[in-house]
Amino acid sequence: MIEQFGRGGFLLVFAVIFPLIPILASVALGIFKIRPSAPDPIKESVYECGMVPIGDAHVRYNVRYYLFGLLFVVFDVEAVFLYPWAVAYRHLGVYAFVEAMIFIGILAIGLAYAWRKRALEWI
Amino acid sequence: METVSSSIPLENFIVLSSMLFSIGVYGVLARRNAVLILMSVELMLNAVSINMVAFAVYTAPSLFVGIIFAIFVITIAAAEVGLALAIVLRVFKNRGTANVDEIDTLKW
Amino acid sequence: MNDLNLDYTLFIPEYFLAGLVVLLVVLDLYVTQVKKSWLSYIAAAGLAATAGVSLCWIDKQSNFARIVAIDNYTTYFRVFFMATGAIVCLASGKLVEDKLRHPGEFFALVILSTIGAIGMAASRELMTAYLSLELLSFSLYILVSFEKFDLRSNEAGIKYLLLGAFASAFFLYGMSLIYGVTGSTYYSDISANLSQGTDKFEWALLMGLVLMITGLGFKVAAVPFHMWTPDAYEGAPVAITAYLSTTSKAAGFALLLRLFSGAFQVVHDDWSWMIAGIAAATMILGNLVALQQHNIKRLMAYSSIGQVGYMLMGIAGLSHNTASALVLHMTGYMVSNMAIFIVIIAWYNMTGKEEIGDFRGMRERAPLLAGVLAGALFSLAGLPLFAGFVTKFILFQAVTDQGYYWLAAIGVVTSVISLYYYLQVMKQAFVIKPDEGDEALLPVPLLMNGMAAALMLGVFYVGLYPQQLFDAIDNATGFLFV
Repeated sequence: MIEQFGRGGFLLVFAVIFPLIPILASVALGIFKIRPSAPDPIKESVYECGMVPIGDAHVRYNVRYYLFGLLFVVFDVEAVFLYPWAVAYRHLGVYAFVEAMIFIGILAIGLAYAWRKRALEWI
Repeated sequence: METVSSSIPLENFIVLSSMLFSIGVYGVLARRNAVLILMSVELMLNAVSINMVAFAVYTAPSLFVGIIFAIFVITIAAAEVGLALAIVLRVFKNRGTANVDEIDTLKW
Repeated sequence: MNDLNLDYTLFIPEYFLAGLVVLLVVLDLYVTQVKKSWLSYIAAAGLAATAGVSLCWIDKQSNFARIVAIDNYTTYFRVFFMATGAIVCLASGKLVEDKLRHPGEFFALVILSTIGAIGMAASRELMTAYLSLELLSFSLYILVSFEKFDLRSNEAGIKYLLLGAFASAFFLYGMSLIYGVTGSTYYSDISANLSQGTDKFEWALLMGLVLMITGLGFKVAAVPFHMWTPDAYEGAPVAITAYLSTTSKAAGFALLLRLFSGAFQVVHDDWSWMIAGIAAATMILGNLVALQQHNIKRLMAYSSIGQVGYMLMGIAGLSHNTASALVLHMTGYMVSNMAIFIVIIAWYNMTGKEEIGDFRGMRERAPLLAGVLAGALFSLAGLPLFAGFVTKFILFQAVTDQGYYWLAAIGVVTSVISLYYYLQVMKQAFVIKPDEGDEALLPVPLLMNGMAAALMLGVFYVGLYPQQLFDAIDNATGFLFV
């Protein structure tokens, strides 16, 4: 137990120390007046060499994305069922193939329904 | 070959999943925003998945019931979130808020 | 693996229902010649026909890969749920036309939830039971919030959904613990493993049972977990309130019976005290809080919570007798409750009002509805001649046979309390005169009158000749205890 987690813990110590060294050094140099302090609005901006960001990061997204997101998630998650089938495909044979096709067919009916309800159009 | 079940005791997984579940319960009880409550419910469901897979590997490695169950839990969770967000959106549109403590027309 | 029975013909009624769902949606979306008001008749006719088809499976005991049992118990609940669904479809025709959009989807969702409810009664494996439960719940979440632009419906939907999701997470976690200690999700394997002694994992088992009972308690609205019930009932479209109070509860109890008799009967002592406590709390609180309601849907919500308490008694002292008594009581409750809701729906369609005070003058304005209301309320309160008396009598007797005298005593006392608030409704309908200038007879549609009268006949049938029905139920519940 302790050996396995010990290695991880050892690395964790390094992971904490390495970022701490430059931060502490910067603070210390600032305190002893070795580092000049010259604040500048451009220096403090989020992207120093990029374009100036417009507005707040917490914007409200257009609600129309919700439908697309929903359709995506449905098909994304249904793929979870296809992976085990694909892995065991050789053992399962035709019978499972037909079942998987029925499954995909039901999903296709759902897509056709969404299409007919004009969920795929940007109104 | 060293397997997971010989090197890590089952208790670790159970402790992890029960902690995750408790965090989820806390989130549901403490949060006000409906979307954050939903995310907490998702945490609870993920705790179930961890439990299921761990039990499947440790107690009955030849049967895959627990693992299949985890897959179904993932799907159900996705369906639940899709449905819930639709209703939350509706509430937000009609009321301008998704905070559950401000939705209080119906009482006693 | 090859010895599993993969007989796909066992699900023919469910295939019919699924086909009906597709048909309704397609008719609504693509075929413009069909009048939207026909959809409710098509849905109801389809459900009734499928209920007829499912009668072919009487006395044919079989199972599908051990996960779903098709026996008389399943057949009974198939007919039960399809009948409820058909009544709700018929009753909501006018409502859907006036208030809701997308009628095809509305009826399709009712039928989908029926499939889920049947699955709950039929499954003999935890994963199938859970999937059926979610099929029912998801359909109900949408149906409750179906009045898209009504604030109360939105609010009811979000409360029902958040608490329902929370509860099903509890149920699932309990399930995972049970799976962990027994190594299987099949009820029969769980039972076999538990019967070999539970000393090694007593606490995990207890925890799993507590969590599962919590989750199912939410679904059937037992007392510490009942908070969503009145809000969801009040906000939902009134036909869906009727549906919630019958199918959703009956399905929960069908699952509870199947699960606890199949898997946990061997550890009866571990959970019976929990259910007994919940039952007592449910009876007392449901009936007491109902006393101060003024909205009829909220009143019916609390009254249904009280009824859940009576039914939970049957789970606490689970045996073949109590199971039969429970299902009989549930059937009587379904018929009486549906009769009341038909009256409420008809009254709401004509006047647009749903406060108890708005029932004044029903005797003058719609005499048949008023009569049915009185009879059905008496039945819920448990007065002789009506269904409620016989079913409660048999239930209380079965429970006392199991030694739960105190529970039965609470049941009797709270029944008397319940009579008071039912009489409040009747006082409005019979004693108080209608408003000036509002005394004319209301044009009750023939369909509503017919359904109300038919359900009233059902109440009298259960109340006066329960023997035949009881024998059928007794035979069905026998399959739980093999």
